[in-house]
Amino acid sequence: MGNFFLYLGMGLFVLVFLCLYRASFGPGVLNRIAGICAIGTKTLVILLLMGFIYNRVEMFIDISMVYALLNFIGTITAAKYLEMKGEA
Amino acid sequence: MDLQQIVSIPFLLVGFFFFLAATIGLLRFPDFFCRLHATGKGDTMAVLLSLIGLSVYEGFSLTGLKLIFIAVFMFLAQPTATHAISRAAMRCGQEPWIKGKAKTQ
Amino acid sequence: MTRVTDDIIIRTVARVLIPFIQLYALYVIMHGHHSPGGGFQGGVIFGASFILYLLTHGLEEAKARMSEMKAGLFSSFGLLIYSGIGLLCLIMGSNYLDYGRLSTILRVIPAQARSLGILGVEIGVGIAVMAVMFSIFFDIATGGEPPGGEESFGDRDG
Repeated sequence: MGNFFLYLGMGLFVLVFLCLYRASFGPGVLNRIAGICAIGTKTLVILLLMGFIYNRVEMFIDISMVYALLNFIGTITAAKYLEMKGEA
Repeated sequence: MDLQQIVSIPFLLVGFFFFLAATIGLLRFPDFFCRLHATGKGDTMAVLLSLIGLSVYEGFSLTGLKLIFIAVFMFLAQPTATHAISRAAMRCGQEPWIKGKAKTQ
Repeated sequence: MTRVTDDIIIRTVARVLIPFIQLYALYVIMHGHHSPGGGFQGGVIFGASFILYLLTHGLEEAKARMSEMKAGLFSSFGLLIYSGIGLLCLIMGSNYLDYGRLSTILRVIPAQARSLGILGVEIGVGIAVMAVMFSIFFDIATGGEPPGGEESFGDRDG
């Protein structure tokens, strides 16, 4: 079971780099915000899988909950700033 | 392989499939709003299924319940964040793509 | 950045989630012994919940709930708890922040007194960090102008 989590984590890690393409080359700032939100979501699942691989889930659960929270607040902040600024 | 492992593996695999579909949509769709569809809905469903799978693997303990809490929070928060971004895009004047136009942002 | 969001979805979801975020911040402060957490991390999460309130409900309502004066008082109060426990250990005849001497006041064994001493210090740090985070965001959002009105200490000219 540890090997299964490891391969899943490695697959998600490759997906993070694919999302990074959109976050760096997206034309305009809105595409970049969507890319960062997607990267944050995948990072949260990778953290939990790492907790399961090392058999110390109690350590990694609080960290991933905080990361979900900060991802949410950061995305809302960035969207609100762009709305006030008025141009893409 | 006991029952918990047998039940949790399909959840994790389907969750990974949704992650894969959402990322391919983020890369290949022609317009910003289409990409937001892909990542907003696909990522939420993928996280939900993955966390349910991990919670079933962990069993009925404090850690399993905390995983369900994270899943409920993501279920509430991620669509709200997607809504906030799309609203900002509408206010900025981004127009939806109609089929036939050239492939823009 | 500080106007009220005229969108009812974001406002309602933020209003539902903010109490649970604060409860989670208190949990992180209290469980510094056994899991990643402690005073600073819990204080940051608490401050983030106030920032979310300010973003979604506007500057005036956030000022009504937590004015700048209250933020300053909270940060000083947190520092007072931290230094107060340290000075109390100094008064009891040992080094600064040597919690073992508190066992005579609290009537527990020294190991338990150390645990309770650290818990008290973490609570003080959490309160101070929460107040400072909110105060910094408030200053950046308003552009550094003084609050004015009945909030200011004494008279100001100009």
